[in-house]
Amino acid sequence: MRAAIELRGVWHAYPGSRRWALEGVDLEIREGRILAVVGPNGSGKTTMLKLAGTLYRPTRGTVRLWGSDFWASDGSQRLRLRRLVVYVHEKPVLVRGTALHNVAYGLLLRGYPSEEALERARSVMERMGVAGLASRERGQLSAGEAQLVSILRAVAAEPRVLLLDEPTAHLDLEKRRRLASLLRELRDRGMGVVVATHDYLLARRVADEAVVLEEGRIRVRGPPGRVLEV
Amino acid sequence: MPGEALEIAARSLAISGTATLLSSTWSIVLAYMLARSPRASRLLVPFLEALVGIPTVLVGLLLYLLLSSQGPLGMFRLLYTPKAIVVGQAILITPLITSVAYRVLTHSWSMYGELALALGAAERQAARLVFSESLPGLAAAVVMGFSRAFGELGVALMVGGNIRGYTRVITTAIALEVSRGEFGLALSLGAMLVAILVLVSLTLRFLGRLRER
Repeated sequence: MRAAIELRGVWHAYPGSRRWALEGVDLEIREGRILAVVGPNGSGKTTMLKLAGTLYRPTRGTVRLWGSDFWASDGSQRLRLRRLVVYVHEKPVLVRGTALHNVAYGLLLRGYPSEEALERARSVMERMGVAGLASRERGQLSAGEAQLVSILRAVAAEPRVLLLDEPTAHLDLEKRRRLASLLRELRDRGMGVVVATHDYLLARRVADEAVVLEEGRIRVRGPPGRVLEV
Repeated sequence: MPGEALEIAARSLAISGTATLLSSTWSIVLAYMLARSPRASRLLVPFLEALVGIPTVLVGLLLYLLLSSQGPLGMFRLLYTPKAIVVGQAILITPLITSVAYRVLTHSWSMYGELALALGAAERQAARLVFSESLPGLAAAVVMGFSRAFGELGVALMVGGNIRGYTRVITTAIALEVSRGEFGLALSLGAMLVAILVLVSLTLRFLGRLRER
């Protein structure tokens, strides 16, 4: 099966920095699979996810989305490809408005009519058992609720690959359990999921494959049962 | 004097308000371009920040040389007109509005711009979200620019000429009253200047809160 996202020989340094955040990373992300990315702080997990999500342009190397070299594509092709992948920030960022509006936001950006977007958003929130948050303004949500809303916003947009950066950082045990179940459900529906996390329990519970990043390099990759024991 | 004071206040508001509007237009666009271009911002932002505190008399002098009848822009006959003050004040506050707006937009882009792109937005959709979420910060940049323009003396005096009923603004009127020894009147004008600045700032804050609701 062809990879949905491929990183080939990717090196990345942030503007003004002389240090490589990623060094020669090769990675394939497939639909219908959950990949866990683990590693210490500063190992390059967020950078790798943002490169895969096309938020950053690699300093060297190529990022292919469904076979197309993203950064060599023209504007309309890039937009089409970008809409197949959604990256969720570790720190939840919500736009002005209610939780429901936030969950619908990705659909609104894609041009869905407002009513349909809100209806889909409501249904996603109901499935996760958080419909009660719908009318709350962003300032009235706890950190965990805001994180859940930002994850559901990505899910509602129905990408083919979902990139989650530390999705359990603010979640309590019950919400972590529900998130794990949601991720498995998304995987079974054919969505590719990448989870960058320090939460080894979540990684072992849901991942089909895991990679360990250290100092910007992939050190180990393989089945989570083996890799996460390292 | 009360009637004349009101007329001077109205003229000051019109001149500094126009200068702020003009300057905000190009400063905010420039700030956005810099926020989206790390390389250009590394070169230009320190330069702009250094110019924030440029003496108003220096801007006034440079503009005087440009606008005087022997100057390269003398044919426009702008010297000693309200338009000359508008141009001078707009130039004076450009570094201030641009550098504050740059900070606001850079921070906002790192949050909302990235969020929008991560959710599949086109660049213009991301820009719309960034501007919408940055409005309170941008309004603060504009208020700061307005305060600097409204309270400056050098430009208004050198290219406006403090002509009664035409280019006299609050600051030049204060300078005149001090030179005449009319300190009470100068202080009253000063109080009026501060009151207007506070009122403008409070009005914008109030409008911002209305929008948040």
